[in-house]
Amino acid sequence: MGSAVVRQLESLLRTRHLDSTLAKAWLDAPSPAVATTGQISLDRALGGGWRRGEISELVGARSSGRTSLLVTTLSAATDRGDIVGLVDACDCFDPAGAAACGLDLSRVLWIRGPSVTAEFCGRPLIETVVRRAIRAFDLLLRAGGFGIAVLDVADVPARWLRSVPMTTWLRMAHANEGRDTVGLMLGEAPMGRSARGATVRVQATSRWTGSDIRQRCLSGLDVRVNVASATRLADHELQLTL
Amino acid sequence: MPLFCCLVRDPASPSAPGALEAIARACSPRVELHGAAAVVFDVDGLTRVRGEPAKIAAEVRRLAANHGLTVRLALAKTAMAAWLLAHAQPGSTIAAMGMAPDADAATIGTLPIHVLDAVPGLAEAGTVGPSRRRPRRGHFHMASGPPASPARALAGVLATLERWGLRTLSDVARLSRAELHTRFGDLGVRLHQAACGEDAIPLVPADVAPRFVERLELEWPIEGLEPLSFVLARLSDALSAALARADRGAIVVTTRLALVTRACHERRLELPAPMRDARVLRTLILLDLEAHPPAAGIDVVEIECDVAPGRIVQGSLLARAWPSPETLSTLVARLSALMGETRIGAPLCVDTHDERRCAMGTFKILEKGEGQRAEGRGHRESSKAEGRSGLSIRRFRHPLAVRVTAERGVPVRVERRAGFGGGRVARVAGPWRTSGHWWMGDESAWDREAWDVTLADGGTYRLARDRRSTQWHIEGVFD
Repeated sequence: MGSAVVRQLESLLRTRHLDSTLAKAWLDAPSPAVATTGQISLDRALGGGWRRGEISELVGARSSGRTSLLVTTLSAATDRGDIVGLVDACDCFDPAGAAACGLDLSRVLWIRGPSVTAEFCGRPLIETVVRRAIRAFDLLLRAGGFGIAVLDVADVPARWLRSVPMTTWLRMAHANEGRDTVGLMLGEAPMGRSARGATVRVQATSRWTGSDIRQRCLSGLDVRVNVASATRLADHELQLTL
Repeated sequence: MPLFCCLVRDPASPSAPGALEAIARACSPRVELHGAAAVVFDVDGLTRVRGEPAKIAAEVRRLAANHGLTVRLALAKTAMAAWLLAHAQPGSTIAAMGMAPDADAATIGTLPIHVLDAVPGLAEAGTVGPSRRRPRRGHFHMASGPPASPARALAGVLATLERWGLRTLSDVARLSRAELHTRFGDLGVRLHQAACGEDAIPLVPADVAPRFVERLELEWPIEGLEPLSFVLARLSDALSAALARADRGAIVVTTRLALVTRACHERRLELPAPMRDARVLRTLILLDLEAHPPAAGIDVVEIECDVAPGRIVQGSLLARAWPSPETLSTLVARLSALMGETRIGAPLCVDTHDERRCAMGTFKILEKGEGQRAEGRGHRESSKAEGRSGLSIRRFRHPLAVRVTAERGVPVRVERRAGFGGGRVARVAGPWRTSGHWWMGDESAWDREAWDVTLADGGTYRLARDRRSTQWHIEGVFD
C-alpha cells in the first residue's frame, strides 16, 4: 500500500518535472558532468569535482583558504579553455595574486560591486550590494556558456545573507539546472546550495617558515575541509595544503 | 552614340572628399571611381535631356562650382579618351563628336606621350605576359634581368618610345599593334589602345554603398522607455531583415532620437562582432538608453547601422560551447546597466611595483592558446622565486585604518575596531618596503612597508605602514 502511494507520488512529481530531488532519480541518473577543483583530494571527496548544472558552496571564516580554493578552481577551468564569471560583491578580488596562481585573467568576466567594507556600511547599502550581486549572478547563470559562475559574498556577514529569501536560491538553482555551468557561492556560512550541490566548509591555520623575523615568511595555509552533500550519507573530511 | 565624361580635381583646388563622386552621381548612375582625384561617368543619356555636349559640360562645371571645386573636365566617346584629355588639358575639353570611329584618336593625337603615365591599370599590364623573345642588339627586352615593378616597367617602355623619337600619341597610334606586342607584350597592346583612345575594358560602375537606416516619425511624443521599446522592436525587425538580405551584420549601431526640445540625443554602440538578431539589437539599444536616457520626449527615432560581412561560424561537437557574441553583448549590457559600465570587464595586471593596483579591460572571448597565459606563468614563476605561496589575498580597496602598537618597529598588537577583531600579533613577517611615483610630486606617490601578520583571532592580514604619515592600514586578508 505504502509503495503504491510512493509510486503515485513519484509519478506525479515526474509529470510536473519536480523529480530532481527523488533519491531514485539520483541513482538512475548517469554520472554527472563535473569541473575539477584543481585539488585531487578535494575532487575525490566531491565525486570528481564541482557538479555542473548545480550550485555549490565554499564557506568559511576569514583566512580559511576559501579564496585560494576558488582561485585554484578557476585556474583549472581557464586551463581547460573555459571562460568563467566572477561576481565580486565587495570588490575584493586581487587580479595580480590570482594571475600568480595561474589564472588566465583574459578568460575571466569580472563583475565588481562597489568597493565597500560590509562592517562599515548601513543596512540599506549592504542590502543593495547583495541584491545586485545576486541579480548579476542570476544573469550569468541564465546566459550560459560559462564554465564556472561565482558569487563571491565572502565579505558580507552571514547575518545579512540570512535575510535573503530561500526562494531566491531555489530560483537560481532552477535557472542553472541542466546547464553546463558550475554555480559556486563563496561565503561565511552556508546560504542555499541546490539539491545536488555540495557545501565545502573550510578552516585553516597559517603556515610560516623561518624562525627569525628577518627570515620568516608566510608560506601557506593548512586547510581542514568538510564536504557535505545530500548525495552522501556522511560528511567527508580531509586536509589540504595550500 | 556613347559619351563619357572624366572629371579631375584641379591640383590648385582644395580637397573635398567625396565631392567628385557626388557630382558624378548627380549626373549619372554609372560612375567609375579612381581615388579621390578623378572620376569617369557615362553621360550618354544626358544628351536627350540637356542637349549638346557643351551644355552638359557647362552643367557639370556648375555643379562643381557649387561644391567649391575647380575641375578639369573632358567629354569623349570613350572613357580612355576622356581620361587622357582631362588629365592633359586644363578647363573643359570636348572631343570631336563625329561619327568616324577614330574621331577621338584625332583629338587626343596631339597630346604628349607622357600622359600615358597616368592611365589607370596600364602599369599593371606590364607585369602580365612579357615577351620571351630572344633579345637582339639594340632592342628593348622585358624578360631580361630581374622583374621590374609595374610602374618602373611602364616608365621604361615610355622612355624607350621617346628614344625612338615618338613624341605624341598619334606617333604611337601609327605603330603596328602586333609589333608592339612582340616587343613589349600586353603592355605594348594596352599602350597602343590608349594612344588610339580605345577602352581596353568597359566602364566598371561602382556600387553605391547601401545605408542601413530605419526612421520613424511619431505622431505623439514618447515619454518613457517602455513605449519606446515597441518602436525599437519594429525598427530592429526591419533593420535585421535588411541586414539578412545583404548578408551583413551590424558592427556599430547609432541611435538618434529627435527630442521635443529640438535637441538630438545620439548614442553609439560598438558591438564586439557583426550581429543582426532583431531582439539582441533592440535589447542592446534599450539597455543603453536606460543607462543614458533622453532628456525630453521623443519625436523621431532613427537607427543606423555600420555593417561588416556576416560571420560564418562552425561549431565544434567536442569543444565546450562558449556564449555567442550576441549573448555576451546582451549580458555585458545588462550587467553594465545593473552594476555600472566601469564595473564589468576582464581583470588586468598593471605593470607596477604597487601590488594594490589593478585595472580592467574589455572582456572578449579569445580562442584557445590566446590570452594572458604566458603572463600568468610569469607571475607564478616570479612568485615561487620569491618563496611566496600561491595564497590569495582579499584586498580592501579602501584600506582599513587601525592603531598598531609596535616594539622596535615591529607590530605586536592591533587595536580592536568595528568589524575587525584586532588583538595580539601571534606571528609576523616583514617588512617589505616599496615606494613609487615620488617623481610625480603629487598624491599618487607612495612609500610604505608591508607586514604579514597572524592575529590571535586566527586571521592572517596584510598590514602596511605609510612611511610618510606613519599611519597603519589593513590592506587585505589572506584567504
